[in-house]
Amino acid sequence: MAVKKLSKDKVKEALQELTKFRLIAPAKSDEVVIFKQIENPDEAYLEYGNSTVPPKRVVFPQTETLFRFLRGSPELKEKDVEEEGTTVIFGLRPCDARAMAIVDRLFSWDYEDPYYLKRRQLTTLVGLACVEPPSVNCFCTSLGGSPFGTEGLDILLTDMGDHYLVQALTEKGEKLQETLSAHLEDAPAGDEKKAEELAAAAEGKIARSINTEGIPEKLPTLWEHELWKKVSAACLGCGICTFLCPTCHCFDIQDEVEETGEGRRARMWDSCMFSEYTLHASGHNPRPTRRERTRNRISHKYSYYPKRFEVIACVGCGRCINLCPVNIDILEILEQVVDAS
Amino acid sequence: MVDIEKLREIAREIISRDDVRQLIGYRQGTYGFRARPAFVTDPGEVDKLIFSPACVNNLATYITLEERLPVPRGQEPDLRKVAVMVKGCDSRALVQQMEEKAYERERILVLGIPCTGVVDMDKVEKRFPGVLARGEIVLEGDKFLLTYDGKEEEVAKGELLADKCTRCRYPTPLVYDQLLDEEVARFADDDYADVEALEKRSAEEKWAYWEEKFSRCIRCYSCRNVCPMCYCEDCVLDRLNPQWMRRSVDVSENTAYHIARAYHLAGRCIQCGECQRVCPVDIPLMELNRKFYKDVEELYDYEPGTNAEAPPLLSTFKVDDREDFIM
Amino acid sequence: MKNPYIPYEVKIEEAWYETPGDRCIKTFKVTFADEKVWDDWSHLPGQCAMVGIPGVGESMFCISSSPTEKGYLRFSIMKMGKNTSALHELEAGDSFYVRGPLGNNFPLEEWKGKNVITIGGGIGQAPLRPVIQWIRDNRDDFGELTVIYGARTSADHCFKPEFEDLGSCGDACCHLAVDVEEEGWPHFVGFVPTLLMEVSPSPENAIAVTCGPPIMIKFVLENLEKLGFAPEQVYTTLENRMKCGIGKCGRCNVGHLYVCKDGPVFSYSQLKEIPEAFA
Ligand SMILES: Cc1cc2nc3c(=O)[nH]c(=O)nc-3n(C[C@H](O)[C@H](O)[C@H](O)COP(=O)(O)OP(=O)(O)OC[C@H]3O[C@@H](n4cnc5c(N)ncnc54)[C@H](O)[C@@H]3O)c2cc1C
Ligand code: SF4
Ligand code: FES
Repeated sequence: MAVKKLSKDKVKEALQELTKFRLIAPAKSDEVVIFKQIENPDEAYLEYGNSTVPPKRVVFPQTETLFRFLRGSPELKEKDVEEEGTTVIFGLRPCDARAMAIVDRLFSWDYEDPYYLKRRQLTTLVGLACVEPPSVNCFCTSLGGSPFGTEGLDILLTDMGDHYLVQALTEKGEKLQETLSAHLEDAPAGDEKKAEELAAAAEGKIARSINTEGIPEKLPTLWEHELWKKVSAACLGCGICTFLCPTCHCFDIQDEVEETGEGRRARMWDSCMFSEYTLHASGHNPRPTRRERTRNRISHKYSYYPKRFEVIACVGCGRCINLCPVNIDILEILEQVVDAS
Repeated sequence: MVDIEKLREIAREIISRDDVRQLIGYRQGTYGFRARPAFVTDPGEVDKLIFSPACVNNLATYITLEERLPVPRGQEPDLRKVAVMVKGCDSRALVQQMEEKAYERERILVLGIPCTGVVDMDKVEKRFPGVLARGEIVLEGDKFLLTYDGKEEEVAKGELLADKCTRCRYPTPLVYDQLLDEEVARFADDDYADVEALEKRSAEEKWAYWEEKFSRCIRCYSCRNVCPMCYCEDCVLDRLNPQWMRRSVDVSENTAYHIARAYHLAGRCIQCGECQRVCPVDIPLMELNRKFYKDVEELYDYEPGTNAEAPPLLSTFKVDDREDFIM
Repeated sequence: MKNPYIPYEVKIEEAWYETPGDRCIKTFKVTFADEKVWDDWSHLPGQCAMVGIPGVGESMFCISSSPTEKGYLRFSIMKMGKNTSALHELEAGDSFYVRGPLGNNFPLEEWKGKNVITIGGGIGQAPLRPVIQWIRDNRDDFGELTVIYGARTSADHCFKPEFEDLGSCGDACCHLAVDVEEEGWPHFVGFVPTLLMEVSPSPENAIAVTCGPPIMIKFVLENLEKLGFAPEQVYTTLENRMKCGIGKCGRCNVGHLYVCKDGPVFSYSQLKEIPEAFA
């Protein structure tokens, strides 16, 4: 597939071109980087490490309407995702794209989730390779990913200093490259080789790791192990680790009605770390404490998900480690799982 | 400076007592300069306990956070004490909890840490990015000394100090059974300069400011959960029937959440700053809490968490209470 | 493919209370507002549906009628919270919304030629009712049918007229129980697991199905084991909080299984492998 170059002084005009689609890019407010729709190329902030909130919120919005209704009228009006139009996520990290590829399996398993899948179909992912790992807690290479990983991406951009190397990876990517052709030039000879070297160097800089072999099978055998009590003792039961995880995908469904009688059924991110997540109407809670909830979070990612979908639901982005207010560290938990007997 | 050996010795004694179930303190974090809560139930574990300016967490939260499960039939409830390490600000959370009768004084054993200030970990990690191996921070005079990766660096105290410490009125715990060091005299005071700056803005400016901040909120509720004063067993935010607040996340619901949160903390927030510290999207929650704090102090000459005997502010009425703010 | 989040409107043909009290149970006999839906609809005993009212919410209920009962669906709903309370307000002529059928079913095809014992408690009879009805409507395909059912008092018994009919027509052997002594009660007094031991069905060529409160299920399973039933001969249903009903929202899992999709029907041999199953 075609390999091109995007000169850094042409990034803005390329982004401008892309605003004819729904263009999503990392943007900075205060010190926080979040993916959001941008109208003006100046809003895009590409010199970032990784975003606090992962770009999953674009394809799986934190709150989204399923259908609308008017109280008293039998008609239900399905939300039409198509209206959102063609979307380009520009500059996401390879781990976050890989996360989407992983979550695709859940949303297309058995019943197809029309909202998510339609949006995925409408979305082109332009990745930005991690020449420098964004955080000390990155461990993508332990999970089959890499700072230059391409899984899930349509285009990979590599920062070569004064320009980006632009590699189309899929048909969708080629189409987008076509759209951008006025702003692209032929890639300098040797760029691809240099990118490979950068990739190898970046992989070498990933400092944390875990050997996942055997963990999916071992986890269910440690059900009553004392480690769960220990690793969850400090847990606050907040939603940081799950909401900010690029593979976490659990949601709640709620109805909302305005005084006018207009209403909607909507879904919104939910977290297995919240106490009411599994609470029965009777008051019984099968996961009554943070111990059971932590055990479920880890088991879901590292055992249940691979058992059904043949891939661990973790990409090693390190967000849950970096942002946990009490320094609960998933790698430490996994090490304890490996060592436990 | 807390002598770590002495701390461990005291901890060992305490955890060996028959009437103590667990001790909550600090230990080294899993990477970099971080420290984290430690839950000690066995004398063999006390050697991991530490105290340093990296020990930012307010451990008072854990006293009310623990789930109270029904005691299985035939078993006795475990009434043993929980021992907890607290800095000056954290101790005020205990005082306020007890003022509100969240639990009885006998339930806890307080190890007070006279505190000379903790770091703002964001500032530390910004200044020393990419530190994976475990590092240490100590305060030497007016400098923090950071040791990591075989290196040693000095940074002026003010550069890394947490904002809350720059205006701390109570560095020595207000409640304790045992003090781990000499008392620390007040080294700062609060002039509310930040709140006054906020007050001076026009309503439109304030609205625009908070709208942008609240639009970022992802309603992870870490600000609620970390708060030692947010300990209702059944929070109105979680209730579905009746539903006081929608679970959908948008500026209007987020604003409603933050207003509810701030109001529920009026006259109760003890300024440990944990909500703002944990917020993953950096919403300056303390600006709201501090506005209330200032109002409460000015209107009622009341500082939450300073007197366990005093009745909670909002449950009392005095004939001479000011009313001029009531519309 | 149809959007699995969009429910069908149903009209209530008849509605009646099965039991009284704070947690009363009301049965709704409904038919689709749009008759054409019947052309796409097919369900089997054990399957469930999301039932609700736009503006209030949705909850999961088993379809308590057998597909052999044509032209209508039945739901028996205990008043528990927001949505069930709103549903209880509805009467004949009103409508609500149904999304389904969801989940798996009792493998009645595999049970052909066998004796079937159903063991139910309280509202737990709701998923067993279609099993019983299916067997009655395909009577020659099955061996003996033994129905064991209990509730706190006789007033708390669901489907009373049907039990009378069932016992008298000889389709099944019925054993009823109340937890505590009451005047004029001619049948067993005590808990369902004890009644099970009293009836003491033979495990030979038999299948046992049990639904009810978790504590009852626990003892029924133990007693079935004592009676010599192998785990593969025993079936039950699980209940967890649900939202999507289609294996997406995540909350209903026990271990790696989604109760909404892989269940609610499980054999005891399946559940024995899952430590969380009886939490
Ligand atoms: C597979 C299955 C079959 C069921 N069959 C029946 C039946 O035939 N008859 C009957 O009376 N009840 C049945 N239930 C239980 C019924 O779903 C709950 O009692 C009901 O959801 C309570 O709803 P609510 O809105 O009134 O409660 P609220 O407390 O208002 O709960 C809000 C929401 O949480 C979810 N929820 C809460 N508790 C439960 C629960 N126990 N199970 C599932 N979701 C829950 C629902 O989505 C509910 O709408 C079944 C549950 C499951 C999982
Ligand atoms: S911690 Fe921050 S993001 Fe989370 S609920 Fe509070 S303000 Fe919102
Ligand atoms: S109810 Fe959503 S996954 Fe089962």
